[in-house]
Amino acid sequence: MDGSTPTASKAGYCRITVQGSETSFEVKKGELLLLAALEQGIDYPHNCRVGTCGSCKTHLIDGRISPLVDFALSPLTNQQLKGGYVLACQAKVRSDLTVNVKLGHHALLPVKSVSSRVVGYRRLPGEVLDLRLQLDAPLRFNAGQFATIAASGSFVRRSYSFYDLPPAPDSAGATEVGFLVKRLPGGQFSEWLFAEDRTGTKIWLEAPFGMMGIDDPDVYGLCVAGGTGLAPILSIVADRLQRSATARFTIVFGVRTAADDFGKPYLDALIAQANGRVRVVNILSHEPKDSGWQGARGFVTDALDEKLGVDYRKTAAFICGSLPMVEAVEKKLLGLGVDAERIHADKFLPAR
Amino acid sequence: MLDYLKYCLSPLLMSIAAYGLWVGGAHSWLGLGALLGVLFFDAFLEPDHSIRDTRYPWLYDLIISITLLSGGAMLFFYAHLVAIGHFATTASAIGAFVTMLFIQFVVTAPCLHELFHRENLLLRTLGRAGLVLIFDPWREITHVVTHHMAVGTPDDPDYGRRGTNVYSHFVRTFREQIKESYHLEKMMWTKRERAWYDPRNGWVQRAALLVVFSAALFAVGGLKGMLLSIAICLLGPRTLLEVFNYTQHYGLVTATPGRFEARHTWNHLTPFVRILALEITNHRGHHEDSYRPFYELIPDRTGPKQPQFLMCVFMALVPPLWFMMVKPLLKHWDNHYATPQEREIARAENIRAGWAELNEDEPEHHQGQFAAQAA
Repeated sequence: MDGSTPTASKAGYCRITVQGSETSFEVKKGELLLLAALEQGIDYPHNCRVGTCGSCKTHLIDGRISPLVDFALSPLTNQQLKGGYVLACQAKVRSDLTVNVKLGHHALLPVKSVSSRVVGYRRLPGEVLDLRLQLDAPLRFNAGQFATIAASGSFVRRSYSFYDLPPAPDSAGATEVGFLVKRLPGGQFSEWLFAEDRTGTKIWLEAPFGMMGIDDPDVYGLCVAGGTGLAPILSIVADRLQRSATARFTIVFGVRTAADDFGKPYLDALIAQANGRVRVVNILSHEPKDSGWQGARGFVTDALDEKLGVDYRKTAAFICGSLPMVEAVEKKLLGLGVDAERIHADKFLPAR
Repeated sequence: MLDYLKYCLSPLLMSIAAYGLWVGGAHSWLGLGALLGVLFFDAFLEPDHSIRDTRYPWLYDLIISITLLSGGAMLFFYAHLVAIGHFATTASAIGAFVTMLFIQFVVTAPCLHELFHRENLLLRTLGRAGLVLIFDPWREITHVVTHHMAVGTPDDPDYGRRGTNVYSHFVRTFREQIKESYHLEKMMWTKRERAWYDPRNGWVQRAALLVVFSAALFAVGGLKGMLLSIAICLLGPRTLLEVFNYTQHYGLVTATPGRFEARHTWNHLTPFVRILALEITNHRGHHEDSYRPFYELIPDRTGPKQPQFLMCVFMALVPPLWFMMVKPLLKHWDNHYATPQEREIARAENIRAGWAELNEDEPEHHQGQFAAQAA
């Protein structure tokens, strides 16, 4: 990676210029754009690296790539396909490229494969499980990142976001981590996990992946979480509270009914340490009309309006939940004036 | 130039087969005899780790393009001979049929696989059109998308899981490929906001291709010629291709789906198999970069290896022989190639397959609670 003005690339190499930034780098012709960028230490957004999560979505402004698979089989929408978006993990570089992509601005942490044991297994309301793993080797991660986990001896892997405060940068890493797991009917992993107390079971983690919590640490944070999308929000807010003495947060947390509200103890703990800098808005989408619920009703998007008391033009948004929820929130926030560059999203995609 | 000439062996064998069919009678078996003769001879040769000359890649491409086109012409030639009653005796008819099965599998199938992986539009189009010769134009999508992404896991329809024999593999692989093709096609027409019958959809074009191909066979070979030719496509390259897939990744497991490592494939590196299969048995590089042309694949000297490929095919067709051969190889793989996480998956797979003996002498015995219950 260099910050120099783009120059002609050497034979057999293509120069990748990131529009709107000073970053440009060279990639050997025929290499995968994402892989080549990561190998050079460039903080390129990515998660799965196999074309299914869409995190490495890149706007191809100029140049030619060859897709490893038809992008219609990726999470890219038809509008994005027509608009020239590609997935960097599936894009073989064929010529000099000009791309528009939001690079990270912090050091990439190495992905490690670590074994662990279940040391915490706690059922929560709303068919959610608090799963805590004691790691056999320390692991570093940033707020908003996630791990892919698999039971020992199983092919089945699933991704979950860390909900803990990330380990201090100068530490060796976390030795225990926690995840919030939602039971999905028919889901191979969650059904297995919920079947019985798995305390003591060996679990493999591969982590960290993703990048969501990156922005000016002092900026106002509007966090929107649907269900277990709360996990990375807890991590991000806890991290930013620690890194900024002034940042304030509004967390909009949506579940179906009051009986499903598994998040209260986690959010209460966050509020207790925030010294008045965190506000939580609970909203229920399917609460019976005749219940005693006095709070907001509807989807999380319904809570996002001028009455929320947020200056949307000076806000960084962190959104996590299901794909339709995240897309709806993104659209709403853009309409309310949030800068597109300041919308950070993590979309939960169900495994096939 | 010897490297380039090597790949002329395929069209040469096809020419011998065509000559045999043309002469008829006992000569109908000539092509099969020549092909098996080469492959049996190959079984006694040492692995070939040489790297190909790549100064004139167009020459390789020309040779395999001609070979693929010859494979198509050969099928129509066969249909024509059937139509004119050329194969008068049962022995000659069977000889011609079986010769065609194996020639189309060994000579034609590797060419279309090679070409549909290419980036060059002309070559890729030729490879895609060539898929009619296995009578399954959908094979490309389940191969390029599903197999290459999910290799070494049960999510890959091409994957021969430990304990499965080739016949149960046939049932599973065809069923899952059909389901996967439908799933992928539907995803594409839905994503592009098209009706399922939109003529721009890949499946419509593929179906039209099959109709045109069948009609052309009918025009040349009549009903009998068409049906026998289609039977050759389905029983030869189409089905035997699945034997190849069955052997190529049999029992190997990955803990990182979608991120291929050299240990996730078997290799067959004898010289004539490399040539006739267009280096596809030199499999590591193909999975690392599926666009890499066959002449740029570098044999993996240290990767997992199976016995000579023809022997593997024959053993696969006799499951007890296959298991006798592959179980020691798998045990070796578990202990020498697998990562710790993969070793645990392999152990669970051994238990699932009823091969607990492969887990003996292990430093740690862990059966993988999850796989035993949920997989």
